[in-house]
Amino acid sequence: MRIKHTILLGAMILCSGTMKAQKPENILAAVGTPPNPKVQISWNRYNDYAAITEICKKLAAAHPDLVKLESMGKSFKGKDLWVMTITNTKVGTAEKKPAMYIDGNIHSNEIQGSEFALYTAWYLAEMYASGNKAIQSLLMDKTFYIAPTINPDARDNFIHQANTAHSPRTGLIPIDNDRDGAVNEDGFDDLDGDGQIVMMRRKNVNGRYKIDPSDSRRMIMIGNDEKGEYELLGSEGIDNDGDGFVNEDGEGAYDPNRDWGWNWQPNYIQNGAYKYPFSLPENRAIVDFVMKHPNIAAAQSYHNNGGMILRGPGALEDVDTYNAQDVRVYDALGQKGEEMLPGYKYLVVYKDLYSVFGGELDWFYGGRGVYTFSNELWTGYSMYNKTDGEDSQNQLYNFDKDLLMKDAFVDWHPFKHPQYGDIEIGGFKKTYTRLHPGFLLESDAHRNMAFSVYHAYNTPKLSVGEIEVKDIGGGLTEVTAIVNNERMIPTHSSQDVKNNIEIPDIISLSGAQVVAGMIVTNRDLGITIEQKLDPSNIIVNNIPGNGFVTVRWLIKGGNKVTVTVSSKKGGIASKTN
Amino acid sequence: MKKLYLFNLLFLLVPLMSVAQQQQDYSSNAVLAKRVKSLSDKYPQLLKSKALTQTIGGKTVWMLTLGTGNTESKPALAVVGGVDGKHLLGVELAIGFAEKLLDASSTDSIKNLLNTQTFYVFPNMSPDATEQYFASVKNERSGNTTVTDDDRDGKLNEDDADDLDNNGKITWMRVKSQTGKYKVNPDDPRSIILVDPGKGETGNYLLFAEGVDNDKDGLFNEDGVGGVNFNRNSSYNYKPFGVGTGDYAVSEKENRALFDFLFDAFNVYAVMSFGPSNNLSSPVQFSAPGVAKRVISSWYENDAKANALVSEHYITTTKTKDAPKTNPESGDFSQWGYFHYGRLSFSTPGWWVPKTNPDTARKEKKFVNEDAVANYLRWARSQGITNTFTTWKAIDHPDFKGQIVEVGGLDPFVLINPPYKLVDEIVTKHTNFLIDLAKMAPRLEITNVKTDRLSDGLTRVTIQLLNIGELPTFTSVGDRSYFLKKILVKVNMNANQSVVSGRKLQTIESIAGKDFKELSWLIKGSGKISIEAGSPTTGSKSVDITL
Repeated sequence: MRIKHTILLGAMILCSGTMKAQKPENILAAVGTPPNPKVQISWNRYNDYAAITEICKKLAAAHPDLVKLESMGKSFKGKDLWVMTITNTKVGTAEKKPAMYIDGNIHSNEIQGSEFALYTAWYLAEMYASGNKAIQSLLMDKTFYIAPTINPDARDNFIHQANTAHSPRTGLIPIDNDRDGAVNEDGFDDLDGDGQIVMMRRKNVNGRYKIDPSDSRRMIMIGNDEKGEYELLGSEGIDNDGDGFVNEDGEGAYDPNRDWGWNWQPNYIQNGAYKYPFSLPENRAIVDFVMKHPNIAAAQSYHNNGGMILRGPGALEDVDTYNAQDVRVYDALGQKGEEMLPGYKYLVVYKDLYSVFGGELDWFYGGRGVYTFSNELWTGYSMYNKTDGEDSQNQLYNFDKDLLMKDAFVDWHPFKHPQYGDIEIGGFKKTYTRLHPGFLLESDAHRNMAFSVYHAYNTPKLSVGEIEVKDIGGGLTEVTAIVNNERMIPTHSSQDVKNNIEIPDIISLSGAQVVAGMIVTNRDLGITIEQKLDPSNIIVNNIPGNGFVTVRWLIKGGNKVTVTVSSKKGGIASKTN
Repeated sequence: MKKLYLFNLLFLLVPLMSVAQQQQDYSSNAVLAKRVKSLSDKYPQLLKSKALTQTIGGKTVWMLTLGTGNTESKPALAVVGGVDGKHLLGVELAIGFAEKLLDASSTDSIKNLLNTQTFYVFPNMSPDATEQYFASVKNERSGNTTVTDDDRDGKLNEDDADDLDNNGKITWMRVKSQTGKYKVNPDDPRSIILVDPGKGETGNYLLFAEGVDNDKDGLFNEDGVGGVNFNRNSSYNYKPFGVGTGDYAVSEKENRALFDFLFDAFNVYAVMSFGPSNNLSSPVQFSAPGVAKRVISSWYENDAKANALVSEHYITTTKTKDAPKTNPESGDFSQWGYFHYGRLSFSTPGWWVPKTNPDTARKEKKFVNEDAVANYLRWARSQGITNTFTTWKAIDHPDFKGQIVEVGGLDPFVLINPPYKLVDEIVTKHTNFLIDLAKMAPRLEITNVKTDRLSDGLTRVTIQLLNIGELPTFTSVGDRSYFLKKILVKVNMNANQSVVSGRKLQTIESIAGKDFKELSWLIKGSGKISIEAGSPTTGSKSVDITL
């Protein structure tokens, strides 16, 4: 109640403020930010599902030629899973342009992914509308599919229910975590009713903790030759079902990011897995959407936290799936990301984080051949713009004190616990440690947006280059054409080529009678491979990144021809000589 | 045990003669629907049937629940047929089991079984594919009606097989060619076999399934009608990007509907599949390195022992022998049952072509080459089966102008589906085996209850929780999976009684067949308490104890 009230009040103040300041004559645009956006959004706070829905609808209404809103399907609780299709709809069709898919919030407590995704959608639309040439050119060539939250049920649970920074990570399908036949019968209890689940501590001479003399809010472990003052009793809760365990069967729990259909493993091998790949309705809706959009050539899934640009393989067992050619592309993108995102490191999940099965990024790459990153948003580096010191816990307290006016901490206060007796309750709020503080939210959203723009920019851009026409006698004309890919990402990743995931690219000649067609492997030495069947439409398995393919036809009847290339992930390009 | 089996056999055979006489061939979907309906009508108290899902091809996947009262709360056996759409016998074995069990439901033994256990029967998981057996052109296929681009050329189902000799069957096509890798089998010239270049053999035939290169891409019948195979779309050992595998595991409605049901059916203690793989004629072998890995590839030792025990029962009850070794396909259903569903999972094709011996009266010689077709033909002759082979006949083939092309060979379906007249006896034997298996089911007893009075108002209560069944309460995989419930043990007390030591509520892990677990509590107070123990796969038991 109190939280809602504060949000409402904040929104009112903000509205009245912006309305006055919105007159263009009073404003000097800051570079790189939409100067006078049609949709006004505050990027220093978090939005629940209703607020996200409203922002999506406003963007679609304000930019009808750029933003189309649709639902990919329903969540377990029946909420629409929104996805915005963003492109210049007046040039080409969205489904035929190379596309980038972005989602956020697969883990329900990792909420800022939604704001980052929304910021990206808003930025693209508003910068386009303000006349920015780079974004206009980008949206002419590319399509963005942006799904701000793919776990809306539990997002609202995180926002509106008492939680820790880590709960819930799951969706809201009930699970019998302790396998006793009862579901969700012993979750957290907000003992003091303040809307936060924080820590419980109890005075105990045999405890292993004491109060930090430099910050009385902080508990530190005692040394081997010291006497303790306190014991820690875990997160706020009681043993609701009388089985001798506290908080052992709460909301959920499964992990939506262990549910994806690449090298999927069941929950006894991969903790968090549900029944089978895409057995969660939210992921099922996404996979159906992705399968219907074979133009997706790049993907980003926002998580928190730790400042990481992650790529697969997720599991050690999948090392051989990622081959050197594809890793080169990943490296080039990831290293650029490290430059753009201070404090973020480009890492590989299985060796730098943990070895895990059934992750979204693995399915996108393994199953669809799409170059995919998961950015772990928010890093302690951003607190003082330096790498975490040895005592990053201490830094959390200092940052809260120095820059957040101690807003992030619930002070220790006494409570009479029905099972533990006299205890104290206190600790960091759920909105701290993993989520951005308000003043850093927009800045980091912008940087991550820029990285996604860079990623999307580097999806294939095909063009037909030189068309050479040569009379070779006997009534035959030889046409040699070069098809370029002007960007870093190939039309088919080598994972894609290896497994024939997507159909090959087709280079067609029209305007003359085709007698023979061939791929030219060495133009100077005249080495070619003939395609006997249907020579007008030459099949090529891949057009490499920053590369080209050369094709040749022998034709009759005229030398004015049109060469067209058509590629699922690379789009369509055409040229007439 | 043996007597019981004989009794069942006699009893079961009698009432079913009538049904068997009515039916002359395997069951189309229409016939299966009729059999389901007449069974539901005849035994409304013992059977509930429902459509589990509709396939994309518009066919019904049936689910039958056999049992009495609250069927969800009783230990259950799941019986699955139509695991492979080519295997019509699997459908008969599953629906036939339901029929024979219910027809025997007035006997004490079966009545008791239906009162204490539940049977979930899924007669046909591949109704799109099995229907091909009844099509005007019979073409063996395992995939459902999902449209797939098997050769990934952007065109869908553009190169199916073709009935070139118009005999209503897709058989084989051999082309005389110096580059061929096949030759006529010297043991039986009707059959054609691969040559072994390592032995200096040379081939003179190319071999294809009957058809033309409809899309002129140089490949024959490489993208026909027939999408995803139920038995290659499960999540265990799943391999994507193959013909019939689907784009990802459990992508198909049939698999999803069955798995959704089974995962919520916590009472299932074992899954019985009638399909291609066979761990009943020869049980799985335990491998220590196979369970030491993160992604295990072997059954756990206790479960492998249970498999061995069940296998003994299978061989004795069905009197089957000489079963060919089987290698489960990637993404198969039966292995999913153990490795991902965490249940004991058994599978048998139910029938295979018997090993033949040369008929000396006909001056037959022992075969030199191992060849299933030659063996089948010798067996078929001994059985008087005559209409399952098409004599090779030259045709004019548009893709092989000027070459000798012959169409013929063994008919589809016959290698894995016996003549229908043999089916009833096979179903009877397997029904008896399933009854036998159900009697091995895990069951809890609370035994050796002891009370020691330590002082006034303080009593130590000790019990032994015994699994009197021969199968474990659940598998060692199940020990680790949260889709199985543990055994919950509860001490029920009044307000003046309390547990001083021990837990008043606790869960315990699996108990092997005939094994037990001892539990004790110190309880303060006097009067009566009760202790309750149970899980969905074992049923519940309770004892009253006076302190």
